[in-house]
Parts: sequence; structure tokens; C-alpha cells
Amino acid sequence: MKLRIMLVDADLQRMDLLMNTLQDTGHWVIACNDEAGSLCKHVRDIQPDVIIINTDSPIRDTLEHLCVIDRDEPRPVVMFTHDNDKQKMRAAIRAGVSAYVVDGMTGSRVQSIIDIAMARFEEHRTLKNELEKATATLAERKKIERAKGFVMKQRDCSEDEAYRLMRKMAMNGNKKLSDIADNINIAADIFV
Amino acid sequence: MSDDKKEKEIDVNVVVSKVTNDVSRRSFIKTTGLALGGLAMMGMIPPGIRSAAWAAGSDAPEKTSLKIGFIPLTDCASVVMAGELGLFKKYGLDVTVTKEASWAGVRDKLVNGELDAAHVLYGLMYGVQMGIGGPKKDMAVLMSINNNGQGITISNQLRSKGVVDGASLKKLIDKIDGEKREYTFAQTFPTGTHAMWLYYWLSAYGINPFTDVKNITVPPPQMVANMRVGNMDGYCVGEPWNARAIYDKVGFSAATTQDIWKDHPEKVLGTTLEFTQKYPNTTRAMLMAVLEASKYIDTISNRPAVAKVISRKSYVNAPEDVIEGRFLGDYDNGLGRKWKDPDYMKFYNDGTVNFPYLSDGMWFLTQHKRWKLLKDDPDYLAVAKKVNQIDIYKEAASQVKVPVPKDVMRSSKLIDGVVWDGSDPKKYANSFKIKV
Repeated sequence: MKLRIMLVDADLQRMDLLMNTLQDTGHWVIACNDEAGSLCKHVRDIQPDVIIINTDSPIRDTLEHLCVIDRDEPRPVVMFTHDNDKQKMRAAIRAGVSAYVVDGMTGSRVQSIIDIAMARFEEHRTLKNELEKATATLAERKKIERAKGFVMKQRDCSEDEAYRLMRKMAMNGNKKLSDIADNINIAADIFV
Repeated sequence: MSDDKKEKEIDVNVVVSKVTNDVSRRSFIKTTGLALGGLAMMGMIPPGIRSAAWAAGSDAPEKTSLKIGFIPLTDCASVVMAGELGLFKKYGLDVTVTKEASWAGVRDKLVNGELDAAHVLYGLMYGVQMGIGGPKKDMAVLMSINNNGQGITISNQLRSKGVVDGASLKKLIDKIDGEKREYTFAQTFPTGTHAMWLYYWLSAYGINPFTDVKNITVPPPQMVANMRVGNMDGYCVGEPWNARAIYDKVGFSAATTQDIWKDHPEKVLGTTLEFTQKYPNTTRAMLMAVLEASKYIDTISNRPAVAKVISRKSYVNAPEDVIEGRFLGDYDNGLGRKWKDPDYMKFYNDGTVNFPYLSDGMWFLTQHKRWKLLKDDPDYLAVAKKVNQIDIYKEAASQVKVPVPKDVMRSSKLIDGVVWDGSDPKKYANSFKIKV
């Protein structure tokens, strides 16, 4: 069975990822932005079988209303979360906390959609973390390079020698190399 | 308390703290076969003696690191201020107050334990207790946070068609030769307080909220923006979002919720029943801190400073002057009427605000039944007794010297002239002409 899945998220990049994943599984996916006014209309127009929404989205209450009050158009809703604790989220879904009643659809199908969505979300987060880490490393490298240059000039030594000196200083002081570089750079600003 | 009684309590206090501090206590419990721990031990001691023992410090919170959620609304003040004033710390708690995005989120996080407690809609707590539209779990209302201070805003567009209040709204909706269109009203959560105020108010003017108009749910901070683009004609929400509509010139105040029910219950400090049973000392400590903050906020000279704190980006995130006016009781309805409202948002009022009256809790159940959120009549009183934690409240209140009313019910006359006193909830719930 081909499902009509509506994705609601404020993070366009993440929405894109999830959309591609879900489309790959052969479902029909519609994306929607994170705004209460347009959501009601979209749900009525699109009549999705499943709505996937971020647990921390403010318009969850709007969806809640569609499920509780407008009994003629309740749409099953499942969701993913920013929460770091994946286990907890899974447990919550199993306990029925974050998954609304699913009419006319087997639980296992929804579960598999959640699984895919969450796996993809996880991947997205890992990538983001890696990017942040890489950016930070690069910034550190730049600092160390600059400090090394200053030491070379002052001591009139080779690059290797300067690096060794700084590393020794870091080890003796039980500090990070980048912290030593910071200190040297600050001092250098006074001298230069 | 008489001096005589005080003296006695102090005596017992010494004895109890001796017992609880005794290193042989564990073996005492073991040898008597009562391997039940401190909680059960305390349960066997009469309440008067127990409170004396807590004062002696034998009542350390079982769980000290807590997360308490709130939604950006003026009435989050007591939870926020309990943190800002260091009151949680004073009672041995390390509390992180966390801003939540939606009531559904607050509910889920309370149910799965991600939040230990929250600033939450009274009606929502009963909705979860009964399993309306979501998970069903035994919940605990620890105290009422505030009375009054919500409102009903109507768009300037309807004003241009002559709507200034409920009666003129009814006239417009009834006009047969008028413009044929659907009027949309928003509230904040299907089982919540604003939904119930909106429905009650519309009904009082003969408008059925489900058949005569369309009703939708919109998050509080999105109300004004949605009204501006014409997604709705009116809404019911907590401050500062009614004052904000006037400030932004998109709507006016057709009613305040204190017009609907003077000193109505609104937000509560809520958690799960499981939490109160597992951590009774923590529960009490939390209550004491928030009660003390409530007292502080109701000292009117403190309010400008409180308005300043809660207006911050990390809390309500709204201009200070939009919050402050109505917070001090200075009302302006946006139609040229200005008044000093004696029934502005109260947080303490000598403890009458905070007591978890059973009649308040039951009222939400009667309205859930009226609007068919509940199919059948529940055992109103039994549910309220289970949810509203009157015993724990009394213990905490006595510690921070908050007066406790004698009666667990209170009597109020609502906008339609009908009196609600909790005496016959089933009859009351089924007495409304306008219903689903």
C-alpha cells in the first residue's frame, strides 16, 4: 500500500533528507512548513495517512486538535525528536506516548516508517556533529600554525623545533596544545 | 497554632530526628521485618508530627535534580521566579526550568518522565487522567498556580462589522442576509482551559462553538500573527497575547476570563501520581518553593521587577510593557475603555489561589463531558480526589505558612448566572442547553 505521508518541520535541510528517504520506500510524501494556520488547510486538502512531525514543534497542538475534535478527519501522527536519547524515544513510541492512534493501518507499518525516519534523522545529526567537529579542528589548526610561526621567528628555529617546544610546554603544564597556542598568540599580539 | 501545641511538636520533633538519625535505624527496620524504607515509616507517623520532623531536616528530597517545564505565558511567573529567587535551592532542589514549545509536548514529557513537573493547563491534566485523545496516565495536580488573567480577543475586521462583545457577535453570526461565511475561533489545546473559557463564553451568548462557528487550536505565541493574516476571527489565550493584539492593532478584548468566572482556576503545577509517590519529599519541597514565589509575585510592588524578568527572551519573550500593564491590573480593551481590574491575574491572594479545590478539578471534567471529549459521566469526585493532591498541598502549605481553606469545594457564579459549587457534578454537566 502506498501511503500519503505529510512531513512537517521547520528545518528544511532535515525535511529534505527525510523526504528523500521516505520517497525511496515508495510512499508519497508531502512537505509542509511549521505554521499553524496553513497546517489545518493542508491536512484537509492533502488528507495524509500519516503525519511525521518533530516532537518539539509548537504546532503539535494544532494537530492534536484535528485528532481530538475533528473526528471526521483524524490523521495518524507519528513523530521524531531532537532528543539525544534514541532509546528513550523508542520506548516512548512503544508506550504510545508520542504516537497518535493509527486508524486503518497496522502498527508495524507505522513503526517501520518511524524507524526509517529516525535512522535518517540520526544520520543527519551525525553529519552535523562531524561538520561542527571538523570546523572546530580547522580553527584549532590555524591557531597552532600562527603560534608556531611566532616561536620560529623569536627563537630562530625550525618548524619541527617550534612544534616540539610547544608540545613540551603543553605536556608539562598539562594543557591542551591549542591553549598553549592561544597564550602564545595573545603574547604575540603585544609584541608585534 | 497554640503555644501549647507548638511546644509539644517541638518535643516530638527532637525525638523523631533522633530516631531518623540513629545509625541503628536500618537494623531496627530489618529486625522488625519492616523493610519498607523511610517513606512507609513516615506514613505511620501522624501528620502533625511528620511536619515537625521535616522542619528538623530529616526530610531531604529523594531526588534533587529536577526539570520543570513551562510555556511562554505571563502565568509561568511563579515557576520562573522560584528559580530566579533561589527558592528551589533554599529547599534543597537543583531545578532547571525549561521552555517548552507546545502543550502536547509538555504532556508527552510529563508522561514519559522527561519533565519532572510543569506549569500546565488545569484541563490538560484531567484530559490525560481520562486518556482523552492521547496517552492515559494517573496525574497529580499539586497546586493551582493562578486565577484570572486570560482573555478573548476579536479581530478588528469583525469590529468594523459592529462586533464589540458577545451579544453583538451573536447578532452578526445570526444575520441571515449577512455575508455567508464561516467564523473561526482559536484556543490553545483541545482539553485545556482556554478551550473551555472560549466555549463557555460563546455558549453564554447562544453561540454553539462546534456548530455555529469553526474552532481550531493555535499555539499561544502564534495567535496574533494568525489573526493578522485572517486565519481566525477570535481567540482565547493567556496574557500577554491579548494585550499584544491591541498593541499590534489587530484586535480588541471582547472579554476577560475573569468576566466569565471571577477567580477561575487556570494553570497548575502538575506532575504524575507516580512521581509524588516515589518522591514525596521532593514534591513537597517543590511545592514550598513555588508557593513562596507566589507570595512574592502577589506583593504588587514586586510586580514590575517580575514583569522585567519574565519578559526575557529565555522566558515569555515579549516586550516588557505589553506584559506589565495587565499584570498590574491596568486594563485597556482596545475600544477606548480603560479600567483598573480588581480581578487581575492573581498568584497567591492569601492562599486562596493555590489550594487545589476538588470543585475546580471536577469543573473541567463536567465541561469535557459537555463537549463530548468524554463520552460518559466519570465518577467526578473520585477522579478529582485522585488527581488533586490535597494532603501533600496541606503539608507544604503549613511549612511556608500559607493559609488553607476549610472546605475542599468552593462556590462560584459564572457569566451565565449558573452557580457551580461541586455538589452535583453529573447534574451540572448534563444541564447545559448548548452542548455537543
